[in-house]
Amino acid sequence: MMNVTPEFILLALVVLTALAFDFTNGFHDTANAMATSIATKALSPKAAVTLSAVLNLAGAFLSVEVAITVTNAVIRIQNADGTPKAELMSDGGHGLLLILMAGLAGAIVWNLLTWLWGLPSSSSHALFGGLVGATVAAMGWGGVKWIGEGAKLDGVVGKVVLPGLLSPAIAILVAMVGTRLIFWVTRGVAERYQETGFRWGQIGTASLLSLSHGTNDAQKTMGVITLALIASGQWSATTQIPVWVKIACAVAIASGTYIGGWRIIRTMGKGLVEISSPQGMAAESASAAVILTSSQLGFALSTTHVCTGSIIGSGLGRKGATVRWGVAGRMGLAWLTTLPLAALVGAAMWWIGHLIGGSAGAFTIFGLMCVAALYMRWHSRRDPIGHHNVNDEWAADAEQAKVPVSGGVH
Amino acid sequence: MDQLLAALDGGWRVLLVGMLLGAGLPTMFAFGIRALAWGAGGEAGVHAEDVVLKPHPMGRVIAYTLFALVILAVLLGIAYIVVHGFGWTMTFNGIWPVVTPK
Repeated sequence: MMNVTPEFILLALVVLTALAFDFTNGFHDTANAMATSIATKALSPKAAVTLSAVLNLAGAFLSVEVAITVTNAVIRIQNADGTPKAELMSDGGHGLLLILMAGLAGAIVWNLLTWLWGLPSSSSHALFGGLVGATVAAMGWGGVKWIGEGAKLDGVVGKVVLPGLLSPAIAILVAMVGTRLIFWVTRGVAERYQETGFRWGQIGTASLLSLSHGTNDAQKTMGVITLALIASGQWSATTQIPVWVKIACAVAIASGTYIGGWRIIRTMGKGLVEISSPQGMAAESASAAVILTSSQLGFALSTTHVCTGSIIGSGLGRKGATVRWGVAGRMGLAWLTTLPLAALVGAAMWWIGHLIGGSAGAFTIFGLMCVAALYMRWHSRRDPIGHHNVNDEWAADAEQAKVPVSGGVH
Repeated sequence: MDQLLAALDGGWRVLLVGMLLGAGLPTMFAFGIRALAWGAGGEAGVHAEDVVLKPHPMGRVIAYTLFALVILAVLLGIAYIVVHGFGWTMTFNGIWPVVTPK
């Protein structure tokens, strides 16, 4: 029988919070893979989230590679081999667990808030932001790795800021060129014929995106939970992740994906650009190619930024199509503020947990997070968005006249 | 400054390969659609009232060859994800992929 010590309670809360984050990660990112397929009706909303969830689940189990050093990108709470720093290990790892707890809570609150606003924002930026904030509160500015040394991309600047600026630009260019070429090649083909053909292409590329999302993102939470287990002495190997952690994370991200962040799907699929199947396929291929290429080259970028960039690019590439820059601008603002605001929440959570102290402090963080989540869920009920109305006309220009666009005749 | 240069260095590589695969493959798919429409004739193409587009059997062959190539590339993409998931690396020796444990 295991002793239920305050440290054990704290560990259990950290694991729960991490799984909750994984869940929000899933539903926040359904849109990345599936928004365009839902908007062009290549897949019904229900079929799209189911397919995406299954592939995320499969992807999560494929990630055998150990991501235990995930926090090393931005903060200094782990040694290079993945073990926690010695100074954070007193009291059964209480110091480290509290940082993880507060950081995760900050990330969740920010993820839910952006979901409420229907804005796609990067879950990894939110996670890094929360952790940075909690670390600054706990260890001071020196606890954060702000910038990498020499030419190795590392730290907040190298892993978050620079890729965050570059990746949407790259995706916009690739998707724009792809869309141009597709419409140029298929001019003269009847539009109805185009639509059916490209829908198949869309389903293929969307599946590829979902699978790679499962392998990349579930891994981060697995790394965080394993780190917590090591800090509290429940696990010792730094080259392996416990099987139950893998199963729990896979199920959490897949169920989040299945629930679907409909508000975000709507913004990405309908809000940015009125999208057609050829554009959808161009956007998804661009996203898949950029994401897979960059992971091969070790260039860390956010799936969300790439996918949004691609959709904008597919709008720019089609003659006569309009990009709603107001919506894009709101998104850009959310991206810029994700790291600092998640950090603020993370830091505040850490202070609250620290001042109250012990298990009570951790419970308070957990409670505050739940209250925030319930409030936002309640708030979302005022104008619910689900699979039933995800494809409705975008209100802002419902009354505007339809502009004719290139690419075949009706 | 070093970080910015490193990011730009990584960035243009991603742009180059991304352009090749991310814009190139859908373009190939588009050629497939066009070939298929040409092969089908009739209502598959845009045409004037008094013209009837006649079908071309070759169109189908070309189309399915192009689709097969695109599907091959996608399968390679999936293989890449799976291989990486298991902690191996996949390098392209010439054209054929080679899988090696890290």
